Amino acid sequence: MVLRSLKGSLCLLFLWFATTIAIDIHGRVEWNDVCSNATELGRAKAILDSGSEYAGSITASGDFTMCVNRLLVPANHPNTSALSVFSFDVPSGTYLLSIITHDYTFDKLRIDVHNPADAQTVEVRPYIEGTPLHPPSTVILPYPIKVSAKGKFAYFSPPDSFNLITMLSNPMTMMMVFGGIMMLATPYMMKNLDPEALEEMKKEQAKVAGVQKAIASGNFKGGISAIMAAADEATAATVAKTPQKSGKSKKSKR
Amino acid sequence: MRFLPLLFLIHALGCWAIHESDVGTVDWHKKLVGIPLYKSPATAPRFASVDDRNVILTASANNVLAALDAKDGTVAWRYVFDPEDRIAGFYQNGNTVVTLSGPGGAIARGLDIKTGVLTFERRLHANSEGLLVDPNDLGKGIAIGTTSQDVYTLTNGHTVTRLDKSTGKPSWTWSGQDQSSLTLFTKLLTTTDTVYVIGVSSSFASYTLHVVSLSSSTGQVLADSEIPSSIVNASADLFAFVHSGSAFAAWLENGNARSLLLSPTLKNKQAQTLSKQSFEELLDVGLSDLGLFVGKGSRGSTVINLGDNASLGSTIGSSDASAIYAGFHADGKPHIAKSFWSTSTEKYILEVNALDASAPTILPLEHADVAHFTLHVASSGEPQVFLTTESGTVQLYTGTQVQWSREESLATTTLAEFVELPEQISAEADAKGESFTHRLLRHAVQAKDFPRYFSSFVRRFITGSYASATSAATAAADGKLSRDAFGFRQVIVTASHVGGKVFGIDSSNGDILWSRALGAGVTPSKIFTIKAVSDGVDPEVVIVTEKRSEEARDTVVFHLNALTGEDVAGSGTTIVRGQGSDAFLLDYGSKFIIILDDLQRVHFYPDNDESRRAFTDNHSKLSLPSLASKNGHTVIFGSHFAFNEDAGEHPVAYRTWELPLPKDERVQTIDRAHRGPVASLGKVLGDRTTLYKYLNPRLFIAYTVTASKSLCGLYLVDSAKGTVVYQVQLPANNGACNIQATLSENWLVYHYYESEVPSSDVHRTKGYRVVTVELYEGQGPDDKTESSDMSSFDKAATDVFAFEESYIFPHAISALAPTSTKFGISGKDLIVATKNHKIQSFPRRLLNPRRPHRKPTSQEAEEGLFQYDPIIYDDPKRVISHTYEVANVQKIVTAPALLESTSMVFAFGLDMFLTRVAPSGTFDVLSENFNKAQLVLTVSGLIAAIMFTRPMVQRKRLREKWYM
Repeated sequence: MVLRSLKGSLCLLFLWFATTIAIDIHGRVEWNDVCSNATELGRAKAILDSGSEYAGSITASGDFTMCVNRLLVPANHPNTSALSVFSFDVPSGTYLLSIITHDYTFDKLRIDVHNPADAQTVEVRPYIEGTPLHPPSTVILPYPIKVSAKGKFAYFSPPDSFNLITMLSNPMTMMMVFGGIMMLATPYMMKNLDPEALEEMKKEQAKVAGVQKAIASGNFKGGISAIMAAADEATAATVAKTPQKSGKSKKSKR
Repeated sequence: MRFLPLLFLIHALGCWAIHESDVGTVDWHKKLVGIPLYKSPATAPRFASVDDRNVILTASANNVLAALDAKDGTVAWRYVFDPEDRIAGFYQNGNTVVTLSGPGGAIARGLDIKTGVLTFERRLHANSEGLLVDPNDLGKGIAIGTTSQDVYTLTNGHTVTRLDKSTGKPSWTWSGQDQSSLTLFTKLLTTTDTVYVIGVSSSFASYTLHVVSLSSSTGQVLADSEIPSSIVNASADLFAFVHSGSAFAAWLENGNARSLLLSPTLKNKQAQTLSKQSFEELLDVGLSDLGLFVGKGSRGSTVINLGDNASLGSTIGSSDASAIYAGFHADGKPHIAKSFWSTSTEKYILEVNALDASAPTILPLEHADVAHFTLHVASSGEPQVFLTTESGTVQLYTGTQVQWSREESLATTTLAEFVELPEQISAEADAKGESFTHRLLRHAVQAKDFPRYFSSFVRRFITGSYASATSAATAAADGKLSRDAFGFRQVIVTASHVGGKVFGIDSSNGDILWSRALGAGVTPSKIFTIKAVSDGVDPEVVIVTEKRSEEARDTVVFHLNALTGEDVAGSGTTIVRGQGSDAFLLDYGSKFIIILDDLQRVHFYPDNDESRRAFTDNHSKLSLPSLASKNGHTVIFGSHFAFNEDAGEHPVAYRTWELPLPKDERVQTIDRAHRGPVASLGKVLGDRTTLYKYLNPRLFIAYTVTASKSLCGLYLVDSAKGTVVYQVQLPANNGACNIQATLSENWLVYHYYESEVPSSDVHRTKGYRVVTVELYEGQGPDDKTESSDMSSFDKAATDVFAFEESYIFPHAISALAPTSTKFGISGKDLIVATKNHKIQSFPRRLLNPRRPHRKPTSQEAEEGLFQYDPIIYDDPKRVISHTYEVANVQKIVTAPALLESTSMVFAFGLDMFLTRVAPSGTFDVLSENFNKAQLVLTVSGLIAAIMFTRPMVQRKRLREKWYM
């Protein structure tokens, strides 16, 4: 203060004293499989609430200490203007602790400070984002705080690549291919079939075709008659010649 | 289970995500560190060696401590300090860099010199106890114990603490007399068992040297002594150094260099004086370990030894006030470098002197505006110089060559504007007035290339790939500046506030196409594109700046060609003598700029009849909001324009309204809406009724602060008559109002911190909130007032209703902007820059204020609404900056590409980042999943099948005909 008036470039702007020192809150990031060291974690901070008041960086050992970090905002800063009210009260109250990192997710914790003079009265509870603060969770976690990374962000989605095997292993493609093969192969298989088995199959097919047709047209009465007709046709077919049979069977399939 | 709704949501929103292969093709990231803080030796750049690799440690004006690799100039690591935690100094201690930061040096940190990982963080006092001084490094210091390597810190100008070198645990603290005393300690020295705290005590006309010696093991005061002396400037004229194990204090007194050997008892008060020569300035060039300083005098600069036997050394230069010095020593062999204007070679050069008979090394310099440099001499004798210019370029010279160069003034960018590039025009078709026969002949000649073209066409048709929305915007083959197929390649014209540096940046890869310094003292305030490619000429930008000189502040306009950076009309046109209050771009057929001076007179740029006529014809419809000072605080007022005879040729803006606010509510700032094309005027609901958007083009956002109630206000105001259309009061966060908001069409989004815990629905917890508001005309659906074309004086102008909803937001943010597309048909996503250094997009559908608080009905589902969830999930797939750490973003600018689906996003602040986003998917280009090989394979498979089955079918048909 006294120096200000003196010549020279030394210029003391102002002095500012506080009357109270709040307690420090200690904690530790436990390394796990998700995040095993500080280099992986990168720049990380533990903050209480919005971090404008209390914040602490996470060191190489994973420890952090949160202390008063009050904003000293220049009065005419364009977007953040300081309000003249600054309180240096006891920081007892309820806070939400979050770990701010670029690549990892951490659970949030609820911190209750009851008596700022005694660090042992600090209560730590789990907290799920978006849930009401009251009533508090009944689970109390030990103090000093221990947190660990819950997951690593996956920013990229895997590329959709073309692969013949994946294409062929697709059930739709397999069905199509199988259908195509069957279409070509059935006439030849029919030829080699035992006539009795063929008869049996024919009947079945005609029945199914009739029912299918009826269901497609939504006419159950017609369906029954279709079944009957199929039966007639089947009897007729037994009398007919072999090449005609194969032609008809083809039609019925269509 | 918790993430189930999230997964559902991602599915419902249509996953648009980044593939790892797109990194670097659709986006780029410039990792910057900022302009070195060279003014104070505590923060000035210096060389350090890590595992036989040289790095340059530098603290910057952007509050970043960084290590630059000396080999290629890349950022080896950086540590971004919080804005309120200003770096006061850094010091290398073996493999650790110790920093002091915050008010009064509140926090000491140790950073690993190889990786930048924080090894310890120790708070030495509360920020509120910090002693704020100017310059920032005064009263703070770090010294390293000679044997223990422990760290001694001097903070607040009176407190010394000994910290453990690896854990930062304090072992003792000594505090000088309380702050109200007349002594301010500025320097700290350590010898084997003593710590010397050196400062000044104020006396009548000058300062007196004050030294305290402490025991390094216990912190006990061994002696406290005032040395008879007279120091004028405590920050520039006082030095302290350890030379061959003994501590010295040196200072300049009445032009004489004096030095004093310090002993633990401080009995010796007889300072030695170099009285042979008088100096104006004493410089510590980094050779104080050898006791060497440079004395600048009227007759020249001299190397002086202030160690054991104070002596004058060699004279190293003439009296050139602008010369800059730096020194380096290895194995006791000193080198001193000096940069100056060489009259013999007519060049700015740097001379490295070994202080012996050998000839000096001369480095010709590229830049004349050198502000600072640091010297390093390899064992081979090859000098390396790290140089910073006034305009923010940093360069490393090895030998006489520039090894690399970085443009750090980009980290101070305040303005950015996208400028579209012209299409590539083939040289032949360019020829105008070509006759028919000539063209016929030309085509005939070109026809010889047809077979080659045809074969390549077939090859391309079969195998070639098509440009997708994620392909790189490649440069034209001839190297000319032209746009790519989808218009992803544009020029971003940016303006930095340091040195008025303007850059043209290629948006496809981040390369600097051109750069210009507008001159010292020039601060750009606005940037406008005055001519675009569609006008048939090279695009032109106008930068409105404030030029500060000693006598005056003028408003100067620079009119540049956006493709080359060259002046279009002279190098800077002074528009207003004196400070301009605001500038606006008007577009009435032709674009022009109006600048208001402090008397509210209108100045035109370009000042021609066309713009005057356009203004005269349209001024009655024009209303502009401005900020002005009234009774010591800011008010918002609206202006209309009139032609007043007293003002001569200038039209005058006169106030028509002033926003009335409660007594202690103060205006913070105003923010104009994002203007873009509006594709639809309404929103058709599930029941076939329509909500008509409230599209008042005159709306702007005003932010206010009510300190007494700890409230922050946000208003939407009509600029024609000051009508408040929407208003909200939000709680301040620890006394600070930091609301981020954006208005686009009828959609207002704002973000704030809710620190209070009221018992209403969403709000029963603390945290960040985002509130989304949609404004609609009239009283309800199908109520149409045509707000977009309505006069503000119409009674229905304020006939508006709003849907609003608040959500819990996962992050603190520093900037936000909606995406913008060419025709406004695509959806609008919200792009935010989070405080954990990411750029993330949030889909509009998620932020719809009409999301029902129950299961949506089929009508609502038809509209695409889904059930309200108070939490907006942090979806990593929508982090468009993915693994990049885009630090301290101040602003996000979005611009349309030629593709309607795609919007370009450019974020700047400290880093620069650009990417493309497609809020509604890339519906107008072939999907990147489109697989040509698959299509060709399927088609050829079908052809083969037909060829195979055709004869079979034919045979069968024939057979059927035979037997029918």
